[in-house]
Amino acid sequence: MREVYLVGAAQSAFGSFPDESYRSLFAAAFERALDSVDGDVDRTSIDEAYVGSLGVGGRQLGLSGPAVTEHVGLDGTSCTRIENACAASGSAFRQGVLAVRAGAADLALAGGVEVMTDTSGERTREWLGVSGETEWERMAGTTFAGVYAHMADAHMAEHGTTREHLSSVAVKNHANGANNPDAHLQFETTLDDAMDAATVADPLNLFDCCPTSDGASVALLASRETAEELTDDPIRVTGSGQASSRVGLFQRPSLTSIPATGDAADQAYDEAGVGPEDVDFAEVHDCFSIAELVACEDLGFCDAGEAGEYVLSGATEPDGERPVNLSGGLKSKGHPIGATGTGQIAEVYKQLRGEAGERQVDGLHRGLTHNVGGSGGAVAVHVFEEGWA
Amino acid sequence: MGAYLSVPSWVRNLDSRYRFVLGECTECGGYTFPPEGACVECNAVGTLEPVEPAGTGEVVAQTVIESGAPPEFAALLDAQGAIGVVLVELDEGARVPGMLTDCDPREVARGDRVESVVRRIYEQEGIVRYGAKFRPEP
Ligand SMILES: [Zn+2]
Repeated sequence: MREVYLVGAAQSAFGSFPDESYRSLFAAAFERALDSVDGDVDRTSIDEAYVGSLGVGGRQLGLSGPAVTEHVGLDGTSCTRIENACAASGSAFRQGVLAVRAGAADLALAGGVEVMTDTSGERTREWLGVSGETEWERMAGTTFAGVYAHMADAHMAEHGTTREHLSSVAVKNHANGANNPDAHLQFETTLDDAMDAATVADPLNLFDCCPTSDGASVALLASRETAEELTDDPIRVTGSGQASSRVGLFQRPSLTSIPATGDAADQAYDEAGVGPEDVDFAEVHDCFSIAELVACEDLGFCDAGEAGEYVLSGATEPDGERPVNLSGGLKSKGHPIGATGTGQIAEVYKQLRGEAGERQVDGLHRGLTHNVGGSGGAVAVHVFEEGWA
Repeated sequence: MGAYLSVPSWVRNLDSRYRFVLGECTECGGYTFPPEGACVECNAVGTLEPVEPAGTGEVVAQTVIESGAPPEFAALLDAQGAIGVVLVELDEGARVPGMLTDCDPREVARGDRVESVVRRIYEQEGIVRYGAKFRPEP
């Protein structure tokens, strides 16, 4: 199997940008990604492109991949749009890994884009529910927050997880995001404010939920030979895992864990030859506060049921044993659905290269990204490490 | 505008819409809802025999939606102020999602007993869709 290197990665700013289009946001991320490469990349040398998008609002549901790559001068380049709900660009990245490994590409693009804030409230609420199980789960009247609320309710009952545990995730991620100039919600919050916010889907309140955002992100993957031409400071993709599971929470065996996370993580750890104890930092899929707790457990950072205390202990803070969501996570950085997965990878790229500015944590050598579609119907996990193999 | 479920796709599942008809797996004995596709317990395919449940069970997860309801339930949320949604472990074994009715949803909690009852679910393309909801067992 050929080695795969991450030679560039970047995100556009995430937020609400009425003056931008899905194409201009993608272009912003793409140009930043090119700039993030040490050497000069000829954009026409990209062999394969995979672009994640859910297509919120329905703006260009067909051919949304080629529609953004043509916009940045990749006319003629093979481009495929990947739809895996919120895991779209984590899944696109995996396709890039597979293409380079297989020898089908020496340089591959994986990215994503979403525009979510320019549609009416009604249309947005319609689209937010499309990744739940539509025929039964959605027809029970639930929402995206409602499905995670069920997980939170069960986690609190089975493991003693508390309101404070949930809100601690929001406080940490907002503190991190306040140092991220590309984050959607660049403000800090207090524990009291996070605990007292208005209910969205009990027990989840406004501060348990990530925002809907506009944004794009792009990662560039290369074979060893190509990477050697582009950089002396390589980041290697040492593990790639992806798994799927039943789309509806009600059809899964556990309400308190996401089995596809464990399955994808097992693959990624196995390929990388490491375990969770070897991961220095992680960007995990915290679409809701409970999702970060469940992720810490399913990824093996702490034991099942103990994530509340684990987060409260400070272990996942920037100065803790394993920082989680230094970017601010989906909670503060924002969640432009199709752009989230490679957005996480852009943060890992920055941190491993010491380019994360005010939020830089020193001494990080191995990072992990965890990107979930829906409530766990698809999960992509990747492990990254400094240096040549 | 809302989640689009065509009338045929609603009608072909009416037994499960109205009475939570389940599938019992002839391979492992597990229960799957709805009774189609692979068994949720053992992933065997073509092994689900329809079973008529009593419609009673226990709440294993509960939430009260107070904002952000999708368009098909926006009018209901406005009228009620909140929508209770539960996952219920039916007495026969399968887990099903359902909406609470005939009660204050904030009074229902995990561990409570509920029973199913047919109610109006929503209206699309001028056709009212009926199906089962849950209410506390008397
Ligand atoms: Zn079975």
